[in-house]
Amino acid sequence: MHDLAMGAVGSKADADGTKTYADLVVEGLKEHDVEIVTALPESLLIDVYRKVAADPAFIYVQAASEQDLPGVVAGAYLAGKRSVMFMENSGLREACEPIARLIFGHRMPMVMVMPHRGDLGEYNWWGHGHSLTMEPLLKALGIPHWPVRKLEEIKPSIKRALIHADAGQTAVALIFGGDCVEVPHYAKD
Amino acid sequence: MQRIDVLTELSQLVTEEDLFISSLGALRNDWWNLRPGGQDNTFFLSGMGTVAPMALGLALGLPHRRIVALDTDGSVLMNASGLATLADQLPPNLTVIVFDNSIYESIGGVPTLTSRRTDLAKMADGAGCINCVTANETVDFAREAHRLLVDDEFGFLVAKIQPGIHSWAPEKQKLTDGVEDKYRFIRHVEALEGIRIHHGAPGPFA
Repeated sequence: MHDLAMGAVGSKADADGTKTYADLVVEGLKEHDVEIVTALPESLLIDVYRKVAADPAFIYVQAASEQDLPGVVAGAYLAGKRSVMFMENSGLREACEPIARLIFGHRMPMVMVMPHRGDLGEYNWWGHGHSLTMEPLLKALGIPHWPVRKLEEIKPSIKRALIHADAGQTAVALIFGGDCVEVPHYAKD
Repeated sequence: MQRIDVLTELSQLVTEEDLFISSLGALRNDWWNLRPGGQDNTFFLSGMGTVAPMALGLALGLPHRRIVALDTDGSVLMNASGLATLADQLPPNLTVIVFDNSIYESIGGVPTLTSRRTDLAKMADGAGCINCVTANETVDFAREAHRLLVDDEFGFLVAKIQPGIHSWAPEKQKLTDGVEDKYRFIRHVEALEGIRIHHGAPGPFA
């Protein structure tokens, strides 16, 4: 297995120099009772998938398509379990149908986390379309979404997203970028 | 055999302790009337392709409780990747039953691809699911459904049914929408499990 994500050179650590974005995501999920994590792995949050899959505190459901993710989250919610889905922002395009029919049709709470593939400086030609379609789609779907770009924002954002989704019985998206994703080689300082 | 025959058999095999995720179409009114105890133990979905993932999330979240997914050929075909996602988990408390009439009956009977070469049980088996079987007769369905429901293993049962929509009197038809269905199901699970799922306000973090 390769150690680094596609085009990445690693990830930044927090002020103490000990915790990366992935450590903080895992901590945030645990501190707010998330038990089921479902994802279609991608490169920018690669360490999240590795850590969650290896941690017995979570049930980790790796999906074959982003179409499966809203269903898993909704089913877990009906079981009384907190759940969060992770995917590349391109997965939003794949997940539109279950989001519209299941999540909107039944007003199901759902927290989704996606990295901002196509962010400023994207060097993969295929990644630009991911960014171009992400925000217009989120707006068209009417899904509240917030950027998470600093390490200290990760845990509070996870907490607030869970509250927001539950109280509003709505979908919520967190868009990870900046220091909160693997550092692409072009962005290495 | 027709859908109503299969569902009547199934209703004798399950209990008020079980939970169900149901697909849409004519199945909706049939199961509304045949679900155990007439209780809010069934989440009636509005879309195709999400029955299996949703039943998976429910089964993983409540591993001590028997979960039955009622799916259709059109729905499974629409999201075949869900079979691989199921196969990676294989929750032993989940049984998936697919009603395969080889047509999109609710829109007038246009054939689905299972009317030709596609075999859903073989697809599930190839995806890595276990206990994948097909039943063509009611007696076979009853035997296989019973076996899969009590074996404490994941199961995938395809019921090859003939076309036909049972006619229910207006007062027997399901009138609730997706949001009411959700709250009914939530409150049922809360009572069944002795838990709180939706707090209303204030929330759990308040």
